[in-house]
Amino acid sequence: MRPTFLLLLSTVAPLRAQTVAPAKVAASVTRVFGIGARVDTLATSRGPVLRAVRGDTLLGYAAVREVRGKDQPITFLVAVDRSGRTLDVDILVYRESYGGEVAYESWRRQFRGRTAADSIRLGRPIRNISGATISSNAVTLGVRVALEDLATLQRDGALP
Amino acid sequence: MTRFRFVTLVILLAAAPLQGQTQPTTTVGGYGEFIFAKPSGGTASADVARVVVYLAHTFDERLAFRSELEVEHARLEAGGSAGEVAFEQAFLDYRLSDRFTLRSGLVLVPVGIINETHEPATFNGVVRPAADHDLIPATWREIGVGALGNFGGGWSWRAYLVNGLKAEGFSAAQGIREGRQEGQGASFAGVGVTGRLEWARPGLKLGLSGFHGGSADTNTAVGSGVFGAPVTILAADARWESGPWTARALLVNVAVPDAGKINAAFGGTVAERSRGGYVEGAFDLLHLLNPGSPSRLDLFTRIERVNTQATMPTGTAADRSLDRTIVTSGVTFRPLSTVAFKADYQLLRTDSGVGEGEMFDLGLGFSF
Repeated sequence: MRPTFLLLLSTVAPLRAQTVAPAKVAASVTRVFGIGARVDTLATSRGPVLRAVRGDTLLGYAAVREVRGKDQPITFLVAVDRSGRTLDVDILVYRESYGGEVAYESWRRQFRGRTAADSIRLGRPIRNISGATISSNAVTLGVRVALEDLATLQRDGALP
Repeated sequence: MTRFRFVTLVILLAAAPLQGQTQPTTTVGGYGEFIFAKPSGGTASADVARVVVYLAHTFDERLAFRSELEVEHARLEAGGSAGEVAFEQAFLDYRLSDRFTLRSGLVLVPVGIINETHEPATFNGVVRPAADHDLIPATWREIGVGALGNFGGGWSWRAYLVNGLKAEGFSAAQGIREGRQEGQGASFAGVGVTGRLEWARPGLKLGLSGFHGGSADTNTAVGSGVFGAPVTILAADARWESGPWTARALLVNVAVPDAGKINAAFGGTVAERSRGGYVEGAFDLLHLLNPGSPSRLDLFTRIERVNTQATMPTGTAADRSLDRTIVTSGVTFRPLSTVAFKADYQLLRTDSGVGEGEMFDLGLGFSF
């Protein structure tokens, strides 16, 4: 058993420095679900989904996704509660030179409470930030797809 | 053992979706702007105003190179007129944290709206506003070092130290425009400091920006020291959008207190103060007609005042034909946010009545 884990670790380790640091994901999850939330990972047909629990209580799910901005991937996290309502969106890694305003709390806040059934489009009703239109468009689309995926998985019983 | 497995899983799953992004990447993009113009009583003409190749390389998550290589007016020919090949920007970013980035190279002076955000689909009107040509000499780039960042609450900033200007190029009609050095063997006899403070929330962005730099270069009759014959620019800008409505505004003041000495040295009639700005409003018809569409059909009007002779040195008369009012009305169709088909009509009026005219423009712009 042990050699397998070591092997896994060694193939993964070189990626850590340049991708989203696990500590960043952990901090984001803690911020959204609260201190003491325990997270495990479910492998699903739509990619890995983080499941947050406290004790025996299911708090919700989160997905770490990536969407292309002007020319760089924007890494973000979408967290939903048990009923699929958005708890928050977090920008984990932003790599472009202009457009970083999508990480502003005032912009991300617009997604809270929305579900896959709601309209989530730039301008209707998610408001753009001037000078960050490409990033705003990209993240809005990314969040919509992530919410749809989570809702589909939940409906199909793929999220225990 | 269980704990070990848990940690491994977390690491694996956090890293897995990102594979392929961890290697250095080189990306190519670009933008283009094509213009057809018909002045009243004049000959119609068409021009490939600019085609720009955007080339970027991301070394890792901290280091990135970004550049724009521009060809203006379609081609260059030995001995021919017009045409220009130039780097509009070429800089290296070193991201020290999510909140702080060092930037160095050929950077865009962060003054006003258009100078930094100039892709054609981002603004209404076929031709860039006159204030962004004769007051803020867009696309204005100089060699420098600096930093940028944000400090929460919607605030962000940029500040650079760049080479100074060359007063030799200043003119009555275009202010400091031809005093830019644009990265070509730039003289650092003078320096400039420039910065921008910005506050943004969804639907609103406000900016305050400025530049203060020497323009004497090595001409001691004009001034001495790195800030000799200083040029001071202050600008305020706003961009707002809500539902089908968008609006933007710009105010600029350019001070050249030693204009008298500059004119004595180079024979021009440069003003001690130039000022101007514009307000623009637009309404998206498709927001009403086809609410589900990502396309926009904006009707807009921009009212602009530009006076490059606002305050003259003692003994020099102002050319009142350079006190201009320009009203531009038209339509911008954007099938996507990055592609624009434009049509507008411009009225140019001057304080003296000389040099007035009208212009009908068609434009095509895109970026990718």
